[in-house]
Amino acid sequence: MSAGIYVHVPFCLTRCGYCDFNAYAGLDHLRSRYVRALLREAELVAPAWVEEEIVSVFLGGGTPTTLEVVDLKALLAHLRERFDVVPDAEVTIEANPDTLDGAKLEGLLGAGYTRLSMGAQSFDLRVLAALERIHRPDAVRRAVREARAAGYANLSLDLIYGAHGETLESWERTLRETIGLGPEHVSAYALTIEPSTPLGRKVQAGLLPAPDPDLQADMFELACELLGEAGYGHYEVSNWAKSGFECLHNLGYWERRPYVGLGAGAHSYRDDRRWWNVRPPEMYTERVEAGHVPVGGEERLEPSDAYLEEVFLRLRILEGVPASWVEAQKAEPFLESGLLEDRDGALVPTERGMLLLNELVLALVG
Amino acid sequence: MTDTSHIRNFCIVAHIDHGKSTLADRLLELTHAVAERDMREQYLDKMDLERERGITIKAQAVRLSHETGGRTYELNLIDTPGHVDFTYEVSRSLAACEGVVLLVDAAQGIEAQTLANYHLARDAGLTIIPALNKIDLPQADPDEAAAELGRLMGWDPDDVFRVSAKTGVGVTDLLEAVIARVPPPEGLPDGPLRALIFDSSFDPYRGVVANLRVVDGVLPSRSKIHLMAANLNSEAEEAGVFAPEATPVPELGPGEVGYLITGMKDVHLVKVGDTITLAGKHRAKLSLPGYREPRPMVWSGLFPAEGGDYGSLRDALDKLKLSDSALHYEPETSQALGFGFRCGFLGLLHMDIVKERLEREFGLELIATAPNVEFHVVRGEEITVVHNPSEMPQPGTYDFVREPVVLATVITPSEFLGPVLELCQSRRGQMLDMRYLSPERAEVHYLLPLAEIIFDFFDQLKSRTRGYASLDYEPWGYEKADVVRVDVLLHGEPVDAFSSVVHRAKAYQYGRAMVERLRELIPRQLFDVAIQATIGSRIVARETVKAKRKDVLAKCYGGDITRKRKLLEQQKKGKARLRRVGKVDVPQEAFIAALRVDQRSGTKQ
Repeated sequence: MSAGIYVHVPFCLTRCGYCDFNAYAGLDHLRSRYVRALLREAELVAPAWVEEEIVSVFLGGGTPTTLEVVDLKALLAHLRERFDVVPDAEVTIEANPDTLDGAKLEGLLGAGYTRLSMGAQSFDLRVLAALERIHRPDAVRRAVREARAAGYANLSLDLIYGAHGETLESWERTLRETIGLGPEHVSAYALTIEPSTPLGRKVQAGLLPAPDPDLQADMFELACELLGEAGYGHYEVSNWAKSGFECLHNLGYWERRPYVGLGAGAHSYRDDRRWWNVRPPEMYTERVEAGHVPVGGEERLEPSDAYLEEVFLRLRILEGVPASWVEAQKAEPFLESGLLEDRDGALVPTERGMLLLNELVLALVG
Repeated sequence: MTDTSHIRNFCIVAHIDHGKSTLADRLLELTHAVAERDMREQYLDKMDLERERGITIKAQAVRLSHETGGRTYELNLIDTPGHVDFTYEVSRSLAACEGVVLLVDAAQGIEAQTLANYHLARDAGLTIIPALNKIDLPQADPDEAAAELGRLMGWDPDDVFRVSAKTGVGVTDLLEAVIARVPPPEGLPDGPLRALIFDSSFDPYRGVVANLRVVDGVLPSRSKIHLMAANLNSEAEEAGVFAPEATPVPELGPGEVGYLITGMKDVHLVKVGDTITLAGKHRAKLSLPGYREPRPMVWSGLFPAEGGDYGSLRDALDKLKLSDSALHYEPETSQALGFGFRCGFLGLLHMDIVKERLEREFGLELIATAPNVEFHVVRGEEITVVHNPSEMPQPGTYDFVREPVVLATVITPSEFLGPVLELCQSRRGQMLDMRYLSPERAEVHYLLPLAEIIFDFFDQLKSRTRGYASLDYEPWGYEKADVVRVDVLLHGEPVDAFSSVVHRAKAYQYGRAMVERLRELIPRQLFDVAIQATIGSRIVARETVKAKRKDVLAKCYGGDITRKRKLLEQQKKGKARLRRVGKVDVPQEAFIAALRVDQRSGTKQ
């Protein structure tokens, strides 16, 4: 069965206000040990994955491009050596525009990282400030130009909408500028306030208003409209791509294909079992250096859990749920109110339905 | 049996927190009624609930014995309920006495309840012994308080006793004064037995126990008794006195106070104010005066928060009623809240006590509808009694409605007189009179609709007078009222639990407040939800809860899936706690919050 490899790189230049990922600024001293640990972990876990054909590799973070090209190159070569990575596998690296320049981009491409996913977030300086991002809009424009010059043919930009102070007009400018830069893939996320983040604490303390869900809904609809007009296909709640540029790796998660996660806090999944590595990078490296598999926890999915996941993931990627899975009277009101549509026997959310996906899932599964 | 000349029956009347229970403790100690090692605070307030709230629910009598001047006196201290809800019970306790100690906090001065009870005692012809308590407190002003008592009641301020129930200072003198001044009871020792029931309670092992005062004749320990108002006979099993623990006696003679194990099993048949006589040929012809049925004044629907607890609620009410004869309840079905009971209470405090006991002693989680009064709907000759706003007929189908009115007494520092009068006027009050007790304090009498009193009047009074005003009221009668029923509709469906009967002039304001409140409380649904307040078919207020548009997790990658599944499961559990009204899902908390606000928000803004 085709599978994916996820590699987590927990280093960042600074911590962004909204981010609750397993990522750290000021941990640079751990970098080379961490890379060695990744190589070692790959050796430890690869034997269990010899049966799987690896169709995608994804370096996420954190900011993977904080690592040196030479290390990144060695890492990918090592993965190809240990795992059955198909020659034309999709290989993605996430990047912060501030970590990129022409030389680095050429190096990454040469090392085999053929898909570049860049965190742009917004082209409005005020929105970037509200998100507590350090880069300036110009940095994204420059990085895209340099990536094209280096030969990149598969670029993705990440956007976040609904930060404090962002208006529908500002979001429209960000969308139009994004489209103007012509990436093959766009991810647009409604800002979610996580309680454990600096923004989350400010919202809880009443210093910042929580995002307005109605405005975010308007922004979502605007994204659907403008990206659709520009020829991007909407293939997941928050993801759009030019035809043929859908992210194979992420589709693996949503189609419930197996994946192996390497690095601190990385999750793995196969055969209704999900497990994850210990989160603190130091603890992760120590475990691996001692020759242990650094697993921190696991869960086995009960059939009902697996079914719930199947339904909500299928609805996210517009593959939809076969109508035969669901009692007709449960789906009926949503078909009538236009949140679901019946596409050749599959119940697929409409644009409005995607925005209310939780409600749909609970109504169809509950 | 004690010679009547050696008997003194008395009460202590006091405002809440003026120290009645503490004074009772000192009297118990002084007369050696309780061994030192058994003494505890607020000895007579047996129930836990009473001890915590610092008030007394049930009247009790305790026999004390005191020697002075070479003679031993039997002193019966009759404890009275100290709250406005229980005025009738107070009056029966007073009817069992010849004298009262009027106890006033030397720092607070006279309060409305003190005054109300003073009037009750004076009207009953009792000897009144005024006393100031808490003279040990630094903020006490005994001279001023004594002067106030003197002005009000026509006493020489020097005749006012000064005690500290806490330290015991002056308590002996007060006790001696009770013996010297309170007259001994007069009764016919040879006449047919007449005993006044001033309290009754239910003991799970012994059945109904009556607290009584023998007026005429003798009550043997075991006898065939007859309850005159109830018109029932019973075999009484034991007569006794509380000293302060229950102690059987061979008989109770004229003027004596004690208890009787009546042999009856239903506390509702043994009512406060009824007269006990002997069954058969020694039966008295005339009962003692003043009997009155206890009547609930305030009604509220009680519903279990969990629908499955209906049976438990019924059992709990059945049990509670055994010891609380004033509690009324009847099954009620609400479309919104399911199966529950419409309950009648003496007043708001009584309601709170019952609710608290149901929740605490029986572990129930309850939703209570906003309290309402009883309305009399008049159509020609026919009068319909309505306890439930949702049963109020629509305007045009009746001639008029009558509502209960009370005579309210408010005592306030003069500086707050303006705001107090304003409050009473705004609550449809009709002023009867007003006078200054001193340059600093004033007393006003108003006729007020009870419905206005239970609508957060007390809170408003306290907040407008920085807590200094006190309130007492007694039933006055029923008067014509221009009231209408306001309904609340969710998505076109009336929600019976939110219906209320309010004065026409305030109907719009009420409807508006309710609708605005609900707009905040009702979560957004997948469609627009109209919230409307209506009077008859006329819509007086409307708000819309706009349809929810966004409820989706933005990101869902490899590491997120477990967490997001758990979030969905949580959301599903939350949905299970919703109640469905028509098509609209309403959380339990919204009902509780909306109904609470309904009671409190009266004249906000």
